[in-house]
Amino acid sequence: MNKWSRTAAAAAPGVAMALWAAFALGVAFALGVAMAQPATAQVPYERLVAADSEPESWLTYSGNYASHRFSQLDQINDGNVADLRVVWAYQMDEGLIETTPIVADGVMYVTEPPSTVTALDARTGKRLWKWTPQMGTDVLHIGFPEVNRGVAVLDSTVYVGTLDAHLVALDARSGAVRWDVEVADNAIGFALTLAPLALDGTIIVGVSGAEAGVRGFIDAYDAVTGELVWRTYTIPAPGEFGSDTWGGNSWETGGGSTWLTGSYDPELDLLYWPIGNPAPDWNGDLRPGDNLYTDCLVALDPDTGEIVWWFQFTPHDTHDWDANQIQVLVDAEWEGEPRKLVVTANRNAFYYVLDRETGAFLHGTPYSKQTWAEGLDENGRPIVIPGTDPTEEGNLVWPSLQGAANWFSPSYSPRTRLFYQPTRIMGAIYYKAEVEYEPGQPFMGGGEQALRGEEASGAVKALDVLTGELVWEFPLQTPPWAGVMATAGNLVFGGSDEGNIFALDAETGEPLWNFQAGAAVRSGPMSYEIDGQQRIVNSAGGTMFVFGLPEGGGR
Amino acid sequence: MRTLKTTWLLPLLVLPPLLAALIGPATPASAQEPGAEAIELEDPERAERLFRAHCARCHGVQGLGGEGPELAQLALPRVADRTQLEQIIRDGIDGTGMPGARTTVLDDDAVSLVAGYVLWLGAQTTADASAVTGDAERGHDLFWAAGDCASCHIVAGRGTAVGPELTIIGLRRGAEYLRESLRAPAARLPVARAGSRSGFFEYLPVRIVTHDGDIYNGMRMNEDAFTIQLMTVSGTFVSLRKSEVAEMEKRVGHSLMPVAQDLSEDDIEDLVAYLTTLGRGS
Repeated sequence: MNKWSRTAAAAAPGVAMALWAAFALGVAFALGVAMAQPATAQVPYERLVAADSEPESWLTYSGNYASHRFSQLDQINDGNVADLRVVWAYQMDEGLIETTPIVADGVMYVTEPPSTVTALDARTGKRLWKWTPQMGTDVLHIGFPEVNRGVAVLDSTVYVGTLDAHLVALDARSGAVRWDVEVADNAIGFALTLAPLALDGTIIVGVSGAEAGVRGFIDAYDAVTGELVWRTYTIPAPGEFGSDTWGGNSWETGGGSTWLTGSYDPELDLLYWPIGNPAPDWNGDLRPGDNLYTDCLVALDPDTGEIVWWFQFTPHDTHDWDANQIQVLVDAEWEGEPRKLVVTANRNAFYYVLDRETGAFLHGTPYSKQTWAEGLDENGRPIVIPGTDPTEEGNLVWPSLQGAANWFSPSYSPRTRLFYQPTRIMGAIYYKAEVEYEPGQPFMGGGEQALRGEEASGAVKALDVLTGELVWEFPLQTPPWAGVMATAGNLVFGGSDEGNIFALDAETGEPLWNFQAGAAVRSGPMSYEIDGQQRIVNSAGGTMFVFGLPEGGGR
Repeated sequence: MRTLKTTWLLPLLVLPPLLAALIGPATPASAQEPGAEAIELEDPERAERLFRAHCARCHGVQGLGGEGPELAQLALPRVADRTQLEQIIRDGIDGTGMPGARTTVLDDDAVSLVAGYVLWLGAQTTADASAVTGDAERGHDLFWAAGDCASCHIVAGRGTAVGPELTIIGLRRGAEYLRESLRAPAARLPVARAGSRSGFFEYLPVRIVTHDGDIYNGMRMNEDAFTIQLMTVSGTFVSLRKSEVAEMEKRVGHSLMPVAQDLSEDDIEDLVAYLTTLGRGS
């Protein structure tokens, strides 16, 4: 079957939805109400590919398949952002909010802690439906809090991963369950916290659980039936390529979880997925070798799951420096030739530029304080400074286990050609300890004591996308947990642990607007447009805020 | 497995002084202090192992905090007694990153051991009170009269709030810490605990010059990327936007508290003896 063709089963609901949409529009016009579009998502794959052409929507976790987290909207811009104010707010179930909403056809689909999905009227914030999975009180989440980072939408279905490691498909109009599959066994530490990625007829998910010693994998499910299409393990079994990078039976509990949404290039038809740390985290003695594919970026064939190429940022990691950061796809001229690139600011404090067709290392440089490597060699492999591994007595190393970057999103602006990275500038004393694997128990082999006080800080850094060189930085009081979004209005939106939701000048870093939200920001901003009005969304504490210009403002 | 003593003392060699602030000398298995609750660890090695496996990722290997708050303190904000502490460990705290130790991961025995270990960590912060040799009554008089300490500190409702409240300082800090605070007040500024995951220094002296030419000398009460809040030495509250600020000097390594140059060694020992009684009864 040609991969561009669609199955009959997938096409049928599309026809039904088209009829429904026509009906809904008819009703709307007949009643003379303001609603100008069907109040349910109708998002075929073709819309996801062309997401940049409808900036009024926000169709994937990172805004487009290239993971730019960039909004083409410019109604809110450097000239009027100072007037930005709250239009509506939504108060969530208790817990940490790390979600990015999806907005399509007038409806916002957002997750609430721990794994709830809610549909809101994107104009008013009024709730349309809410779905909460039934989970036992004994759901494991070892090494991370009870969070969810968002949904995927494809055609008329909303997809969510749950803390107890299920993938659930919900009817976008009602929240009714269409199917529910167990991705993996939560009792041995698997969980889903990431926003799934919708491709052409498949839903891609990864798992959390390296701190419980799982063997990680990436899965593709049939979007209509929920059937598993392929599974690719991130730790090779004996006999497979890379199995010689694991001593003894250590591969069985080797970690390599896949807990952050990947990126996709429809032209190359390659899926890019970052891989997490090896297990146990801090005691590398139990797993001699480079430990492929932990701390790697892998490029996969989305039809088969076959690994086409891989690049390892931190071989034999002993600091818990997952590569689970957003992988940003950029087309640029490199040494006089147009080239397809993937760039990332890694948790290990280095910024990388790779060729995304081949995985070839092109460039790398530190973007934050680090004391563990002298640099990168010509293949991008770190030149590790001896004596920087964790010890029983403790060993002070920058960055801390949470890294210079983490899951929170960077942004790439095609206008400024800058890569905006929220950066944690923090060291930690790393400890190593003995540990034995027990199913469903922590499997970490040590720990850290992070530096505090004025010895730790944060920043939003603007890096030249090709060189990684610092162009400007905006200092933050403490290391952040919040993502950023650049816009065509020459703005970069971000958040701080001190409760600021703010906008900076995208070219200079000058602060232009600040809203004190009263609690830490831990999610990534996004933008959409409704009734001709641009909206900016970010969350703090237990509340999601939607900002806009005063009515009649803007151009 | 090394003994608690070994694993706890070695880090002191590599820690910057700021970090070492709250690590008292460790005594395996118990902390016997006048007035302080004695903490007996039934199985210290297992308790430490459990703490490090389940708690240290957020609270730090030494309980000094990290992504989660500091636990190495007496009087944990949410904990009235051991039962409540065990309940928090078992059920977690809704709306925060604190998970419950579900039954499959930590059974009741393990919860109890971890609770004991957390209390033991707190007890270590005051574990050296037996080294107090001064005269607490004379210290009391120094504090309230000649030393004029109450011009900047509140004890049991009396005094002025510029520096930290000292009502239960005898529970919070050990004699060596108090001695150092008198001799070199800037050596160990406390790190903010409440409501801040990462934490920054409290009582940090700051000097600010605004674009209008106003000069403020005070102690930072709070700060974010856009604003700063100060208490001046005279007790005036000042709120400034950073866009108004022309110069800002954060005087890390300094304290507004005067160094006790006029005090003799005996005076200092007497003051330490008095402060040690605060919160413990005498």
